[in-house]
Amino acid sequence: MKPKTIVVCIKQVPETNEVTIDPQTHNLDRRGLAGIMNPFDKNAVEQALQLADQTPAKVVLLSMGPDDYAESLREGMAMGADAGYLLSDRAFAGADTLATGYVIAQAIKQIGEVDLVLFGRQAVDADTGQVGPIVAEFLHQPQITYAASLRLSGDNEITAERLLEDTKQTLVAQLPAVVTVRSELNTPRYPTPRNIQLSFEKPLTIWHHDDLDLDDSRLGQAGSPTIVTKVYEPKPTKRELTSLTGTPTEAASQLIKALKAHQLI
Amino acid sequence: MSKPELWVIAERRLDHVEPTTFQLLTKARQLAGDRFHTVAILFEATNDHLETELQPYAPDEIRIVRDDRFPTATDAEHADALAQLVAQYQPNSILFGATITGRSIAPRLQAKLLTGLTADCLDLRFDDETLVATKPSYGDNIMCEIICPDHRPQMATVRPNTFVAEPATGTAELTPVTVAFHPVERLQVKTATPVVNTATTVGDASRVVALGRGAANTATIDTATRLAEKLGGRIGVSRPLTDLDRFTHDDQIGQSGNTIHPDLILNFGISGAVQYLVGMQSAKTIVAVNSDSNAPIFDVADYGYVGDANAFMTALLAQFV
Ligand SMILES: Cc1cc2nc3c(=O)[nH]c(=O)nc-3n(C[C@H](O)[C@H](O)[C@H](O)COP(=O)(O)OP(=O)(O)OC[C@H]3O[C@@H](n4cnc5c(N)ncnc54)[C@H](O)[C@@H]3O)c2cc1C
Ligand SMILES: Nc1ncnc2c1ncn2[C@@H]1O[C@H](COP(=O)(O)O)[C@@H](O)[C@H]1O
Repeated sequence: MKPKTIVVCIKQVPETNEVTIDPQTHNLDRRGLAGIMNPFDKNAVEQALQLADQTPAKVVLLSMGPDDYAESLREGMAMGADAGYLLSDRAFAGADTLATGYVIAQAIKQIGEVDLVLFGRQAVDADTGQVGPIVAEFLHQPQITYAASLRLSGDNEITAERLLEDTKQTLVAQLPAVVTVRSELNTPRYPTPRNIQLSFEKPLTIWHHDDLDLDDSRLGQAGSPTIVTKVYEPKPTKRELTSLTGTPTEAASQLIKALKAHQLI
Repeated sequence: MSKPELWVIAERRLDHVEPTTFQLLTKARQLAGDRFHTVAILFEATNDHLETELQPYAPDEIRIVRDDRFPTATDAEHADALAQLVAQYQPNSILFGATITGRSIAPRLQAKLLTGLTADCLDLRFDDETLVATKPSYGDNIMCEIICPDHRPQMATVRPNTFVAEPATGTAELTPVTVAFHPVERLQVKTATPVVNTATTVGDASRVVALGRGAANTATIDTATRLAEKLGGRIGVSRPLTDLDRFTHDDQIGQSGNTIHPDLILNFGISGAVQYLVGMQSAKTIVAVNSDSNAPIFDVADYGYVGDANAFMTALLAQFV
């Protein structure tokens, strides 16, 4: 039996969400923030590695972003993935989910004979969760989103559980297919010292614009239907505070009076 | 010329309409004024009558696709059907609930239509015919306004409980429509077991006693339980308390929990992190008790007491008659 090829799409995100807005430029101030692999994507990497324990498979990581995203690819290879592809080009910059999904889908076609593509549930910076279904559509493949469990159930078949708000579904898909995973489905492994060492010998390929078959009108900002017109830090709406004072008993009686006046009790 | 169409995709939850749909229909009416034609899109089985649940929210029109296969259809099959309707009617904008279902179908449809989709929105408005969607990023630490100027339809998924559903007067025109069902052969739903969640959640309560890390000991929780009973309300918690055996994620208020709109919320021992506040700041009356007079929760509160949570609660209970 031919080994399977499992692609895991990973994004690099800032190490913390405590970002601020630069008061001058009104842009996000990400200075000094180190990048880490999107935590939800670690679950996808872990799932791929577990499937590779079930059946002979090659686990390939794929990321679109600037050159420093290579760090996350190394991190994933240190977890045990076999190879990494970084899609890096100025032409890809400024992409929204649609343009990102397009480049990722083209790269997956280029890798060729991919059996399964895994995504994290969402990137913790952008919080959209859209790239997975977009790629599934561009590849014309069935999708299983928010999988709560995933296993190979046949030579060319996967079975997943999906927990919707009202229903627990068991879904069976014939490969190739696209799956986005929930974080509850596994606990990502830590890289072992040996795997960290091995990761530096694994192939990390960088693909630029000319390495892929691309329609330029669908790339970067030009290929992105959405535009961010404003970013700001949310300020909770301030209210006029009436202080309750004195002992707890005194304060409680003031509150009861106020709540009665508003017919809340 | 006919008005541009603003669509709300009705979502099903077991045998009913998912409540986010009502919230979106209400918001759609407010946004539309007399500039837009509001349309609910409903897929239902031949014997269903879910339109009766939509009618009180008075969209201008309800387009109904009756086909027994759709209630159990997969994401790609739904997206395919919606793409057919979009091709036929050319809507200006489409709103989905940011539920698991909505967040799975909407991006698939987006990719078919090669248009823009803004996820998990917390506000919507129109500038002329351009939809301006407010979307949180970085764990709600940052808000972005996003537009899709040159592509139609403009699409958004909206976080459940962001808007309040209010019935309206008006009669929706019922229009049966047909689409071709294109089955996805390579994906089968083998089993579908309803998860019946009968417990009322903190999201449904009009009075909430909310507990945070400063009100997490057993005695305080017991006092709070009695207070919630007296008020005819429910207990809600900040995220750290979901680690306790007594509470689950269903009880959590905030960005990664429930967004709630109670008439009254009493916050005890909660500092007021932005991720918590986004879940409750639209409550009609907000009361805060915290031992730290600088706690940010006081900025959003109508009534505040600086002191111990349990002592205040006990005093409050003693004075209820
Ligand atoms: C991506 C992300 C999502 C998140 N989502 C959520 C969410 O959905 N919901 C949520 O709640 N949090 C969420 N958080 C966590 C949030 O940032 C805060 O950490 C959390 O809300 C703090 O909970 P707290 O106010 O109970 O605890 P603390 O911040 O520790 O505050 C405890 C308060 O109790 C007061 N106190 C102590 N003793 C007493 C006493 N005896 N009497 C009265 N007051 C006392 C203290 O002065 C303090 O103000 C999220 C964080 C991130 C990064
Ligand atoms: N630039 C990227 N490169 C590779 N994978 C990505 C990228 N952006 C998003 N993804 C994948 O898509 C998932 C959803 O991301 P998002 O739609 O941005 O929330 C992530 O968990 C990743 O698996």
